[in-house]
Amino acid sequence: MSENEVKPLDYNRRDFLKGGSVATLMGLMGGVPLFAKPGAEPVGESKPDTAKYKVAIIGLGRWGREILNTLTLAPGAKPGYQVEVAGICDNYPSALRRAGELVPGAIKTEDYTTLLANKDIPAVIIATPTHKHAAIVIAALKAGKHVYCEAPLANTIEEARAIALAAKDAPKQIFQAGLQDRSDPERLFLLPFIREGNLGKNLFTRGQYHKKYSWRQQSPNAQREKDLNWCLDKTTSLGLLGETGIHPLDQATWFYNQKPAAITAFGSVMAYAEDGRDVADTVQAVCEFRGGARAMYDATLGNSFEANYEVFYGTNGAILIRDSKAWMFKETDSPLFGWEVYARKTQFYTEFQTTGISLMAGASKGAVTPAKEGDAKPALSGALFSALGSFVRNCNDYTNAITDYTDNFGDDAEGLVKHLAEKVHRRAAAGYLEGYQATVTVVKANEALLTGKRVEIPRELYELK
Amino acid sequence: MIKMKMRTLITAPAVVLLAMALSSSAADKTRFNAKPGKDMKVRLEGTSTVHDWQVEGPIIAGNLTVGEGFPTEPGMAAKPGKLDAAVDIRIPVNSLKSIEKDGRPYSDRMDEVMQEKLKSPPNRNITFHLTGLELKETAKTKDDPYLCEAKGELAVAGTTNKITFPVSILPLAGKRIKVSGKTSISMKDYKVEAPVLVGILSTGDKVTLSFEWPVMQAAAPKAVEAAAPK
Repeated sequence: MSENEVKPLDYNRRDFLKGGSVATLMGLMGGVPLFAKPGAEPVGESKPDTAKYKVAIIGLGRWGREILNTLTLAPGAKPGYQVEVAGICDNYPSALRRAGELVPGAIKTEDYTTLLANKDIPAVIIATPTHKHAAIVIAALKAGKHVYCEAPLANTIEEARAIALAAKDAPKQIFQAGLQDRSDPERLFLLPFIREGNLGKNLFTRGQYHKKYSWRQQSPNAQREKDLNWCLDKTTSLGLLGETGIHPLDQATWFYNQKPAAITAFGSVMAYAEDGRDVADTVQAVCEFRGGARAMYDATLGNSFEANYEVFYGTNGAILIRDSKAWMFKETDSPLFGWEVYARKTQFYTEFQTTGISLMAGASKGAVTPAKEGDAKPALSGALFSALGSFVRNCNDYTNAITDYTDNFGDDAEGLVKHLAEKVHRRAAAGYLEGYQATVTVVKANEALLTGKRVEIPRELYELK
Repeated sequence: MIKMKMRTLITAPAVVLLAMALSSSAADKTRFNAKPGKDMKVRLEGTSTVHDWQVEGPIIAGNLTVGEGFPTEPGMAAKPGKLDAAVDIRIPVNSLKSIEKDGRPYSDRMDEVMQEKLKSPPNRNITFHLTGLELKETAKTKDDPYLCEAKGELAVAGTTNKITFPVSILPLAGKRIKVSGKTSISMKDYKVEAPVLVGILSTGDKVTLSFEWPVMQAAAPKAVEAAAPK
């Protein structure tokens, strides 16, 4: 994930029931919210002295700071998962100082190897510029750390493969790729719904990222400015397709359960032609799946209309997903599910003559009977919060499971690996294979953009060898 | 010199006899160690005012040491009565996780609350020490288990109580035994505060504990060598 990604908090503050937003239109048209089941209600509070799991963050640009904010300030962070940011690292002193104000007790260093050598910190989150991931991730895995590596894993398939293979060779350690949507409760709820064919025949999906924002950062120091603007240089950046497109394109492959067969892409520097960048600020891509469905994606830094969302279209209906919320529209001739009788419905926009149906994951009949406006709660947390929560809890569980196993059954490495794989549950998250495969897709998408040609992707390229 | 010879004459046979007794004692006992894997499971089931709940764990560590007469092979003859067996078991509280009825994970928060109520730390394990095992019914065929009654001391959350419960012993090929059992315990007896959310739910006091414990024969201990006379 680029450190330039729009902060999710921006979305949460936006009220898209006002104004001409797609979600407003969808609401008027009868789009009804689809809610994932909230987490189980806490029974009592965690003891204040519950031990906290220590993590370090390497890379404190915009996205690294977003991760730091989420871990330290997100509502529900305590109790929820008990985490302590025990170390932070950036090679830019000003970034380190600024981030350090949030975690005054953390180790602050410009040298990431200091944190890798620290035995008290079992896990690291790597949010450096994409082209710097490989060396740090591989070193962290060698040092025995659990690793969260932002997506895309790397700028090249070779480096992505090296990262993924290093993670595969460290089965006692958690490796999580920064495809945070894979941990999002709302998307986890939608996954079986779409895969089971509830939208009918899948036709296509469309995603967009629109934000008027140049990506350019400034610094009085010329070298620092060059480093800060790595994403505007095609030698170090996969551009919008890689840094923002990876999420909806991965989501399409995840929901459709297929890998892309080919990609066509276009891009130009349109809005910021005067600043000398050679990375497109406006892009479009069409991803072809072997089953016939397509994923379309467009992104621009030149316009903010409708911001970010994805829509999945099928012959029976469509689902709009924005952040961690979703709305469903059923076609009038689509077969009944049966539970529509009990579901909340919103009056359809008169010109379209359709009623939208409220979906609620894990709901009983009583739970989905018509409720007062505002009663239903949205999924408890954004995708990043869920992803980091999965990471910390998975790391904690692995650490405990390894201790339990070795204390009781001795130093049986093979048995331990088998025990971890078969008996220790891992919360939903993207692993090294998903991270590698998503990176392959966007590297090829960028290749299509740069060459102006349709790029076919052989199946074997998605295999990790 | 004569005294020394006399001492040697008296001492040497005693040493040999002692060595023979020790090696004989060791040869009579067979040790089985817990074998982690897909068949090993401990399960807790309980109720609440909202819904029934279930917890499972994949680790039952410990060992079973048995003497003569204990059925260790399928279809082995065994007379009802007291069995020569010693068992000590540890179940790490950390390894216990709440699940849905279909086995999917249920709730991280419930797991945290459970650990607090089981007072872990410092009581990181649920432990069981066997004090007596009686064979009630011998196996009808070589595929059937031997039905026994076990008595022992169960420690939960730092409190120990004596319990008695039925146990089934199923010898398997490859020097393995599967021990299974089920019992009901009361949280109050172990001073475990049943979780309550005032006005929303309360948890039932009774908990059913069941387990499947596969063990595998360890390598036989070496016999003690008789000391050579000087």
